[in-house]
Amino acid sequence: MIVTLNAKILYFSKFHPQQSPLSRPSPYFCRTRNVSLITNCKLQNPQDGKSIAKKSTSSGSITKTISLSDSAPPVAEKTDGEIPGDRVVQGGGNGGGGNGGLAFLKRLRRKVLSILSNLPLAITEMFTIAALMALGTIIEQGETPEFYFQKYPEDNPVLGFFTWRWIFTLGLDHMYSAPIFLGMLALLAASLMACTYTTQIPLVKVARRWSFMKSDESIKKQDFADTLQRASIQDLGMILMGDGYEVFMKGPSLYAFKGLAGRFAPIGVHIAMLLIMVGGTLSATGSFRGSVTVPQGLNFVMGDVLGPVGFLSFPSDAFNTEVHVNRFTMDYYDSGEVSQFHSDLSLRDLNGKEVLRKTISVNDPLRYGGVTIYQTDWSFSALQVTKDGEGPFNLAMAPIKINGDKKLYGTFLPVGDTNAPNVKGISMLARDLQSIVVYDLEGKFAGIRRPNSKLPIEIDGMKIVIEDAIGSTGLELKADPGVPVVYAGFGALMLTTCISYVSHSQIWALQNGTTLVVGGRTNRAKNQFPDDMNRLLDQVPELIKKTSAASELS
Amino acid sequence: MIFSILEHILTHISFSVVSIVLTIYFLTLLVNLDEIIGFFDSSDKGIVITFFGITGLLFTRWVYSGHFPLSNLYESLIFLSWTFSIIHMVSYLKNKKKNYLNAITAPSAIFIQGFATSGLLNKMPQSVILVPALQSQWLMMHVSMMILGYGALLCGSLLSIALLVITFRKVGPTFWKKNIKKKFLLNELFSFDVLYYINERNSILLQQNINFSFSINYYRYQLIEQLDFWSFRIISFGFIFLTVGILSGAVWANETWGSYWSWDPKETWAFITWTIFAIYLHIKTNRNGRGINSAIVASIGFLLIWICYFGVNLLGIGLHSYGSFTSN
Repeated sequence: MIVTLNAKILYFSKFHPQQSPLSRPSPYFCRTRNVSLITNCKLQNPQDGKSIAKKSTSSGSITKTISLSDSAPPVAEKTDGEIPGDRVVQGGGNGGGGNGGLAFLKRLRRKVLSILSNLPLAITEMFTIAALMALGTIIEQGETPEFYFQKYPEDNPVLGFFTWRWIFTLGLDHMYSAPIFLGMLALLAASLMACTYTTQIPLVKVARRWSFMKSDESIKKQDFADTLQRASIQDLGMILMGDGYEVFMKGPSLYAFKGLAGRFAPIGVHIAMLLIMVGGTLSATGSFRGSVTVPQGLNFVMGDVLGPVGFLSFPSDAFNTEVHVNRFTMDYYDSGEVSQFHSDLSLRDLNGKEVLRKTISVNDPLRYGGVTIYQTDWSFSALQVTKDGEGPFNLAMAPIKINGDKKLYGTFLPVGDTNAPNVKGISMLARDLQSIVVYDLEGKFAGIRRPNSKLPIEIDGMKIVIEDAIGSTGLELKADPGVPVVYAGFGALMLTTCISYVSHSQIWALQNGTTLVVGGRTNRAKNQFPDDMNRLLDQVPELIKKTSAASELS
Repeated sequence: MIFSILEHILTHISFSVVSIVLTIYFLTLLVNLDEIIGFFDSSDKGIVITFFGITGLLFTRWVYSGHFPLSNLYESLIFLSWTFSIIHMVSYLKNKKKNYLNAITAPSAIFIQGFATSGLLNKMPQSVILVPALQSQWLMMHVSMMILGYGALLCGSLLSIALLVITFRKVGPTFWKKNIKKKFLLNELFSFDVLYYINERNSILLQQNINFSFSINYYRYQLIEQLDFWSFRIISFGFIFLTVGILSGAVWANETWGSYWSWDPKETWAFITWTIFAIYLHIKTNRNGRGINSAIVASIGFLLIWICYFGVNLLGIGLHSYGSFTSN
């Protein structure tokens, strides 16, 4: 009996027969082993086992190659995947008695890891970060100190205690770069790493190292359990395979699982979060930014506009590139509102050779050598007018009222003696490059003209022609080395979050004479699992009387 | 012109059908469930009709305006109620027997639909032109994902709230009956599902004629388990959409504004919501933890979604001011 018991504890070679640090001896495991010993003795029915083995070789398709190992490593499968309290680090602290300092460091490391990977701590961190972010949207960001002195006065504190002193001590006026916020993020990152290292990765090892269950009792202890009379384990294996399970069989026992990816995915989520954080740090420390408003026809050098953001910002060769604005245009809806901006840009290297030419618009930036040029803004640069055939004069347009996106520009063409104390002239106003409103010397409305229309407008005998409206394009330049890392994190996060929805289901079965005991559990779709199982078990055919009688006899 | 007429017709069809569905639900509360069991089927069919009505409505707007109909608050509300009807349909088709989700989705759909078409937003319904920044394929991806995520998360957190209510409610049939009327007026949406369960429970009790107090506790326990499970599944489902929505929004922002994250209020609140539901999912991984803790977190999440979805728009601050009340 004892010999067969040794041989019955089997491992597939492709899984991990060696003892992992997780399978440390514990009373829990010892107890399970005892149980299996007793029931194995009870269940022992060599002929039955043999006949099934024969059957399985004849059916062929179900069983996979099984290699036996003579040694009997402890059965380590009972560890449940989802108990966060079950930490590896708590185990055996035998660092060696002689080397005291090293042992202390080791112990310290374990201690720190176990504190950091504590789930309540991580939850507290997330709550704190959420609260800080919310506070950041409530308290106005980036205002002058006087603003806060006025808004949060000391003699009349908000909620009875909150004054500007709080804001400046904690740096709440620039919340998202405040030490307290960044510190919490760093702590969360540390927790993520610790949790991945001490909890999740060991969990995967456990999940990958499966084993058969050898007793009715342990199978019946699962979340779902059922007993089928006159059913064969081969049929069950077939049906489970048909439903997408990976099925392993040995003798009278069966193990099947599905959706293992659902177990791995949370690790991916954590790693993706870390990637995004690393990318964000890279962006914050190593990027260049700058914005520029360039009138049509002029040019600028990228390096002049881009300013370093962090201490790790190193300029690249592309910064010597000269950008020439060939043309700036705006598209309009029929109602007259702006629908899109276009800037035709030419990039020239140090020798003046054009290396790239592209028309950019709001959702279509230009990328060259790590620098991205965005179309973000526009402005009215100048108005070209001729007066009685003289000119053209370039009149600079000044912004008059900027209310959100609604812009208004104006200019003034002096008439008569420009040195007189009260100069009179023609005023011109424009909301966009499309139409110019002209007012006469008294300030009365004179007419609306479109640039390029060549249609003169007559004011006090003067013929004014608006030749052209010159816009300037508002460009935003950015060189951000963090973007590829962040994007990689984004991709990974989307993918792994989706995979995390998959439920990891495990099924065990044991043939006991003609009775089939089936048990299983799943980690997410717990309510649907019994229904799915019942549906599958309904498909298992009932054995005909003859074979059942035969096997009962044997 | 034909488009606006069609739009009107479709709005009215979907709204009246969903009202009828809701009336049927209320009727089943008052009369014994068994006698009018057929009503439940018809109410599900009603939701299907509503779904097609709203789909037609959205499609009409799309054809009419030439862009994906998600450019302002009105359209996003219509889309949200469409999301509720689609969740209802999916849960109905997946397992034919009636489940707890229906009680959440149908009233939510009518509530949102009613709000969208009410006078509060009467200036909004005209489809507006798209500002340059919105002219992108990402609009479709980002906004639809966000709204789908909001819809699913709202359903899930409503289930969690129902769980909390049932857990903390004192047992006693007379107490329910009294509460029914009071709650009814106080909070239509929220108490409705609770009533539905109570009614269902009562009917089961009548059928089986087993020990009353024992079975109340038993069904109560089972109900809580069910609610816990369903809210977990729906929230994890909505969490996927929220994640994809936020990330696609970040990518879009990097294409348009030159930065993938700029701590804009709407962005920040979406991230806060995301964090809260991440906390929910983490609490859920703890097997020993009771459903109440996670349910409390989910109900906080319910409030946060509304702050994120409406609050920021109400103030009309930040870069996401397209759908605000003030800008139009």
